[in-house]
Amino acid sequence: MSRQDQGTSAPTRAPGAASQLTQPRSRPASRHWLAVVALLAFAAGLLLAPAILRSMFGQASVSYLSLGIKAVSLAILALTWDIVARTGQLSLAHAAFYGSGAYTAAVLLKLTDVNMWFSIPAAGIFAALLALVLGSATLRLYGIYFAIASLAFTEVLKTIVQIMPPAITGGTVGTNLPPLFRPTFVAGEMERWEVAFLRNQGYFWVYVGLLLLTIVVSLLMQNSRLRHAFTAIRTNEFVAGVMGVNPARYKLTAFVISSFLVGMLGAIEGHRFGSVNPDITFSVHTTVLALVTPIFGGLYTTVGPILAAGVLSGVEETFKRVLSDGYMVAYGVVLVVSILFMPRGLVGLFKRFTRREPAPSDRGTGGAQDG
Amino acid sequence: MELSLLPQALISGVLAAGLYALVSVGLALAIGVIGIVNFAHGEFFMVGAFFAYQLFVSFGFDPLLSILFVAPALFLIGALLYQTTIRFVLKAPELNQMLLTFGIGIILQNLALSIWGGDPRSIGAVPYRAIGLQFGNVSIGLVPLGSFVISVLLVGGLYYMLARTPLGRAMRAVAQNRIGAGLVGLEVNRVYLVAFALSALLAGIGGVMIAVIQSPTPTVGLAFTLKAFAIVVLAGLGNIRGIVTASLVVAVAESLVATLLPNGDSLRTAVFFAIIFGTLVYRSWRKL
Repeated sequence: MSRQDQGTSAPTRAPGAASQLTQPRSRPASRHWLAVVALLAFAAGLLLAPAILRSMFGQASVSYLSLGIKAVSLAILALTWDIVARTGQLSLAHAAFYGSGAYTAAVLLKLTDVNMWFSIPAAGIFAALLALVLGSATLRLYGIYFAIASLAFTEVLKTIVQIMPPAITGGTVGTNLPPLFRPTFVAGEMERWEVAFLRNQGYFWVYVGLLLLTIVVSLLMQNSRLRHAFTAIRTNEFVAGVMGVNPARYKLTAFVISSFLVGMLGAIEGHRFGSVNPDITFSVHTTVLALVTPIFGGLYTTVGPILAAGVLSGVEETFKRVLSDGYMVAYGVVLVVSILFMPRGLVGLFKRFTRREPAPSDRGTGGAQDG
Repeated sequence: MELSLLPQALISGVLAAGLYALVSVGLALAIGVIGIVNFAHGEFFMVGAFFAYQLFVSFGFDPLLSILFVAPALFLIGALLYQTTIRFVLKAPELNQMLLTFGIGIILQNLALSIWGGDPRSIGAVPYRAIGLQFGNVSIGLVPLGSFVISVLLVGGLYYMLARTPLGRAMRAVAQNRIGAGLVGLEVNRVYLVAFALSALLAGIGGVMIAVIQSPTPTVGLAFTLKAFAIVVLAGLGNIRGIVTASLVVAVAESLVATLLPNGDSLRTAVFFAIIFGTLVYRSWRKL
């Protein structure tokens, strides 16, 4: 690969990039309050959702809640991936941190008898430590090199889990986790399906709690100096370094925070599925879901990944009914179409129609635009 | 450790290196000439394998014969993908290019999964599959030997093409400076098209071989994408000449680990990824 070509493929900035960079400062204070109110309304809506669904659909609400759990889980996966992407790193190691979280929970509960709720933060901490190790080793890698190294890291981690003594990780077969919720059936007082409903409701609330935490973290990052640092590093790491932004420090920060959150998601999912298995828990599918969703919704935003998670989990459900083996094809199509036709995702599309913003001059998601 | 197995392990490694070189040289071509990091490369390989399988099942085609059909088919698929998608992201940020090819890979893999299912498929009934040559305590299967010879011929042909023919010169010129090559009258876009299609073709022929040697599933593509990346990264991104040496190193290392270490077969894939990871991290820190 010639030097010249590397130069020309560097992100070209949209004409309005400079003014967009200063946008958060000039944003009126009332917009912040609007965001807080919107977030509170969103949280209240999600927390009340199980009760509303139950009163509207009765028994069918059980499967609606399952779908809701999937959507919220996808939203967490996507938003945490986006936090890393904001520093310009294409991480293909998301499955590694998700999987290590799930395995931490499983191994912790297998070897010790701590309270099972303790496994969730422990999983987050372990995943964050792992991210610190991987991040420190790969600090100097960028672009394609980081992408390949992170993918390789996932596979190495999977192999390590497979060849560890079966007494610890369960080897290639995997091991079991206890469920977080085990509602008991009381004859005469409730119907059979209500047990499943109570279980789903419990999980739904846990997922929503983690999603809200992730949203708050993401918003805080977007409204602090971190956002400027991330944007600078993403646009041009070397220039950012010259300007006094330490790329290594900020990349590591994003990586560790993101992994902490997705590690906890892995643990919760492990509890819900009841088991972990190297091939499934470290599956590249997790990484695919984590990266397609924010691209479809709009990279470097908080709303985009959440919006896209809602849409895509519906799409996936439809495709699963038609294709049993190859339903993931939907994600491939969404990814290709998004990159070619709407590089700024649903959020960019929405903005273009409402604000009459000029179409982006570059077909890029790597430029300075964000929202 | 069984030292008596050493010659056998070395020979198997060298034979496997041929196929690895064939697949990775295509990837290096795409990276070196076009500057596209193709995460779908292994899927071309997988499509080649399953085309050969289907030709064998439907018409009883010998794999050697089916190469004549698979190669043009993969060339067309590569050309079509370039024209419809890759062409548009050449100047886009690297992230978009990687994500686009990643998406193409997901589509190809899952299309194959929905057509052929997730079970391993193989062209097992080929009469010469079981034939082996015995030298002392080293046995060489006819099929791995044949695939090695074909790979060597193809990779050698590619090197000759790059070094001596007008098309090869055009590719090297475009790789060095795409604007300069355009200025002196080269049709850059057409050179890119041919390079990408050729890279798909080479991977597809490799796929035909794996359909005879192993019993691949549609997920074999991703594994081979990673293997090809390991080799390309070891050779240095875009360095087409270093591919042969890198393939030999990786294939022999894999073969040695698989035969000589206890429980080695499960470590087979880990060797690859450890090589990728180690090389990348080492190189990045050496630049200090």
